[in-house]
Amino acid sequence: MNDPYSVLGVSPSASDEEVKKAYRDLARKYHPDNYHDNPLADLASEKMKEINEAYDTITKSREHGGGSSYSYGGGAYQSAGQSRSASGSAQYVRIRNLINANDLAQAEAMLNAIGNHDAEWYYLMGSVYWRRGWMDQAGQYYRTAATMDPSNPEYRNAVQYMNQGGQAYRPAGGMGMDMTGGDAACNMCQNLICADCCCEAMGGNLIPCIGCR
Amino acid sequence: MYGYVRPVKGELKVSEFERFQGVYCGLCHELARKFGFFSRFLVNYDFTFLAMLLAGDEPVAMCPRRCPAHPVRKRACLESCQSLSLAADMTVVLGWWKLADGAKDGKFPASVGCRLACLALKRAYDRAAARQPQFAAAVEENLAALQTLEREKCANLDAAADKFASILRSISGCVADPARQRAAGELLYHLGRIIYILDAADDLAEDIKTNSYNPLRYRFQPVNGRLSPEDEKLLRTGLQHSHNALVSAYALMGENAYGGILSNTIYLGLPAATQAVFAGTWNASAKIHRKRSNL
Repeated sequence: MNDPYSVLGVSPSASDEEVKKAYRDLARKYHPDNYHDNPLADLASEKMKEINEAYDTITKSREHGGGSSYSYGGGAYQSAGQSRSASGSAQYVRIRNLINANDLAQAEAMLNAIGNHDAEWYYLMGSVYWRRGWMDQAGQYYRTAATMDPSNPEYRNAVQYMNQGGQAYRPAGGMGMDMTGGDAACNMCQNLICADCCCEAMGGNLIPCIGCR
Repeated sequence: MYGYVRPVKGELKVSEFERFQGVYCGLCHELARKFGFFSRFLVNYDFTFLAMLLAGDEPVAMCPRRCPAHPVRKRACLESCQSLSLAADMTVVLGWWKLADGAKDGKFPASVGCRLACLALKRAYDRAAARQPQFAAAVEENLAALQTLEREKCANLDAAADKFASILRSISGCVADPARQRAAGELLYHLGRIIYILDAADDLAEDIKTNSYNPLRYRFQPVNGRLSPEDEKLLRTGLQHSHNALVSAYALMGENAYGGILSNTIYLGLPAATQAVFAGTWNASAKIHRKRSNL
């Protein structure tokens, strides 16, 4: 394994606070939410693992007050947003697996071979386009899927994610511009508040967790 | 070439600005050295960005040089290196094909100019294409496919943007490390998409006036050369998603000596260019920028 300090980009003489800060910034950078259905999600998750391990190694070696090391995300979280819930016909399950494995050509060929285009078909075609980087097409297919089956939360979420503009890492301090003419930092707060509400609905609380870390 | 890919100068550190200028001047000198005087006119911001993006972690060596644009005081120029050499090859290949395109499809006086420039640069092109055969093949193939889409008045914005994006992505073939190559490919693909779509948005009114192909004419229903607010929002949200993908890929590229300039260009420069294009002030601001920077 690489030197944990160089993984976090700090010197071995850095204070605990500095190590924590470096770790937090990197964890924010490679957070799975920034790689939502992204073809590079596997690389980011490797990076995240490396950072978590480096941070754990450092905190353990420094043995501060019972070693209350924590890691951002965690195994279960890293695959969130990537693996699709497998509903529908066996054919669609296979296509979903192909999309998750980034075999877009094969997934598209299988979709094109299906004559009956239901809501799930449009959703999966949208996913293929999304992964390929064809954002405009992806949006059109997601919207068709959600119109055909308005009660399906998966399709609704995809449309919402599309309309809201997604998210990606921005370095702290004045680099918060986005392409829609708004302020990315502002959108991030909105997302955070949104995520907090979801968390709270499930019995958790996101904003104080970040505060106390 | 297009010039949308540039840092916001006011937000660069002085040392970063000097380094950026050094790469731009270095690329110009590299073009002259390898491909002769005329190829100098092809120097542009997009490939300056590329030279910095593809640079490994070797130290940056600058040396003072004179040139026809700065005959009296010498300017610090990046010394010839692998990424500069690569960027020069690609500048000539893509620049030549774009001129060839202009000679074939352009309107009367401009098309003659393009033809002459093509002739003047033919030998340079042959040499550059021989050095980068895969890139030259990708450019030729994708530009031909784009012309077919243009003739068909393609309304699929993604399909049209895909051709230019694929040209840029093919550049990632020169990155040795497989993970870094994947990240570079994704980054360049979305960069190509953003450049293509911004260019289409910038030229929309003009293209409608001259009845030229523009994907936005067929994808949306522009009125008086402008998109409706809803369509513009949809288009810009799509650009935002591409920008997110670009940023996420950039995070996986690893650091080099140009990190500050690259981050500025990606996080600030691209959104600023987008803002200016949609506000209709891009052409004016680009002119002022050229005048002030003396680049």
